[in-house]
Amino acid sequence: MAKLTLPPVELVRSGHSACPGCGPALAMRYLLKGTGERTVVSVPASCWTIIATGYPTTALRLPMIDTPIEATGASISGLRAALDALHMSDVQVVGFAGDGGTVDIGLQSLSGMLERRTDALYVMYDNEAYMNTGIQRSGSTPEGAWTTTTPVEGMARGKGEPKKDIMGIVLAHHPVYAATLNVAYPEDFLRKAQKAASLKGPRFFHVLAPCPPGWKFASDQTVQIGRLATDTGIFPLYEVENGKLRVTRKLGQLKPVRDYIKVQGRFGHLTDAEIDTVEHEVQASWAALLQREARP
Amino acid sequence: MIEIRFHGRGGQGAVIAAELLAQAANLDGKIPQSFAFYGAERRGAPVVSYARIDDRPIRLRTAITAPDIVVVLDPGLVEVAPVMDGLKPGGTLLVNSPLPPERFPTPKPAFVATLDATQIALSHGVGSRTMPIVNTTMLGALSRVSSVVSLSAVQHAIDEHVPARPAENGLAAIEGFHTVRVAELPGLPGGKAPSGPVAPALSSEVPEGPIASMASDVLHTSSWRTLQPVITREKCTRCNFCWKFCPDNAIDLDSEGFPVVRNEHCKGCGLCAVECPPVAIEMVVEGGA
Ligand SMILES: Cc1ncc(C[n+]2csc(CCOP(=O)(O)OP(=O)(O)O)c2C)c(N)n1
Ligand code: SF4
Ligand code: SF4
Ligand SMILES: [Mg+2]
Repeated sequence: MAKLTLPPVELVRSGHSACPGCGPALAMRYLLKGTGERTVVSVPASCWTIIATGYPTTALRLPMIDTPIEATGASISGLRAALDALHMSDVQVVGFAGDGGTVDIGLQSLSGMLERRTDALYVMYDNEAYMNTGIQRSGSTPEGAWTTTTPVEGMARGKGEPKKDIMGIVLAHHPVYAATLNVAYPEDFLRKAQKAASLKGPRFFHVLAPCPPGWKFASDQTVQIGRLATDTGIFPLYEVENGKLRVTRKLGQLKPVRDYIKVQGRFGHLTDAEIDTVEHEVQASWAALLQREARP
Repeated sequence: MIEIRFHGRGGQGAVIAAELLAQAANLDGKIPQSFAFYGAERRGAPVVSYARIDDRPIRLRTAITAPDIVVVLDPGLVEVAPVMDGLKPGGTLLVNSPLPPERFPTPKPAFVATLDATQIALSHGVGSRTMPIVNTTMLGALSRVSSVVSLSAVQHAIDEHVPARPAENGLAAIEGFHTVRVAELPGLPGGKAPSGPVAPALSSEVPEGPIASMASDVLHTSSWRTLQPVITREKCTRCNFCWKFCPDNAIDLDSEGFPVVRNEHCKGCGLCAVECPPVAIEMVVEGGA
């Protein structure tokens, strides 16, 4: 019998209303295994509000507050202050927001929370579009991806702009700890969640969380596609602690980005030439990442 | 005026089915209407859509509570959703099921028809194994069991309005037309009434304290699935990968470390089967054909 590589505690209940094969459902499950039972979670409007709250039920075994989409950062600053006033400083405060609610609508609030040096963990689960409202493009949607607001017909070829660099924005605020995580690598995920929980001060997670209906793939492929995102270099796994960057999943040879792109309907229209362009960009950013890691 | 109600699962094409039926009826010279019940349209969750067909413009805009025809796109829904509610005496119930029509007694006498639309759709490559899209097959069958629309109008509507694989969808509709079986059932006073919706009845009192404090485990989300995992214990190496990657926490480990699927919560996503290194898990059609 193999040893469990994740703690057995389940703080997400069954019976939640995520789609079959939902990446963000795995993200919450792994995160709470790391932060533990003494955690409160603030969730803004997103798929996760619906996942957790089929009225009158709740899918979390710990307190959750439902936050306006633009206010996740502010809400966790407030929760922290309230808990400290109640002498409950040991309670972990977590904001758990989507990409749209983070890189677009809630960006000011996130920036404020980081700048105030709030002792809390802000988690952005990135399914790369506004999924709960039916797959609209967000600032975090990758270039070329089909969404309902970036159609593929006639001259239109999906999203025309590159993905916003949220890690760059967050790192400019000098958090005590920031990391990228992927639901396809739960052990790396858990280690980072436990590490974040052991630190004080502003912390940030960028979690890749594949979405079967939004990315147009079969519900049994979530983990396979997640692995490819990292192993092609599209979504590298790294952490930055007090400014020092470390790649946590080392890769020798990157897998071809084609392997990742070709299995998702949202990229179905991309030509070989367009995929080659992505390949070059990914190789350049991977090389840049390794250089940053080598810096003292 | 004929009123038709479709019951499906998010992703199966129930909303498109109502739209396509309306387009087809329009090609037949009728004046149709179609719309969907607005809810959380999760892939796999029960959804409802409606169509009305008449020779004159329809002013009514309300949900259909007393349908002439009910079309059920997924066999599992008969057990978990109130599909037969309000079905008019002498109306028609069309169910996607490999079972004979006699197996679906209606509360009031009605024509019952069945066909294995999942198998037909899959054989024509319409949809995927995890989510076969049966709407066009069911419309073909509907054109056989009722005069509400003609098969040729269904085919034309598919050609014009189905962007992916119109030819395969058209063939599936024709096969649906030819394979559907009909039985007329007398009213069965002892007939099994449909069980209520999956969600518990909403309490009229707002609970004290937290707004929502009932554990979500009471919701049996397996009603969403079309496939279910079957674990072969002899092949299992107890690596617990399936447990690790289940997004619904629907796999428990027994005292010896063997995985056990909690069938009331598994949504049938298939992740456990794909991630199982020794391929000890197989996804089979829910309920078995
Ligand atoms: C100010 C405001 N604008 C729009 C909405 C509607 N809304 C609810 S959920 C949602 C999608 C959020 O997308 P994202 O943050 O990426 O989370 P996801 O749904 O993808 O999980 C939107 C736009 C809202 N609740 N509040
Ligand atoms: S739309 Fe995507 S992110 Fe939202 S619940 Fe479904 S799978 Fe999860
Ligand atoms: S198919 Fe497997 S992974 Fe998916 S919900 Fe069921 S038990 Fe979990
Ligand atoms: Mg999103």
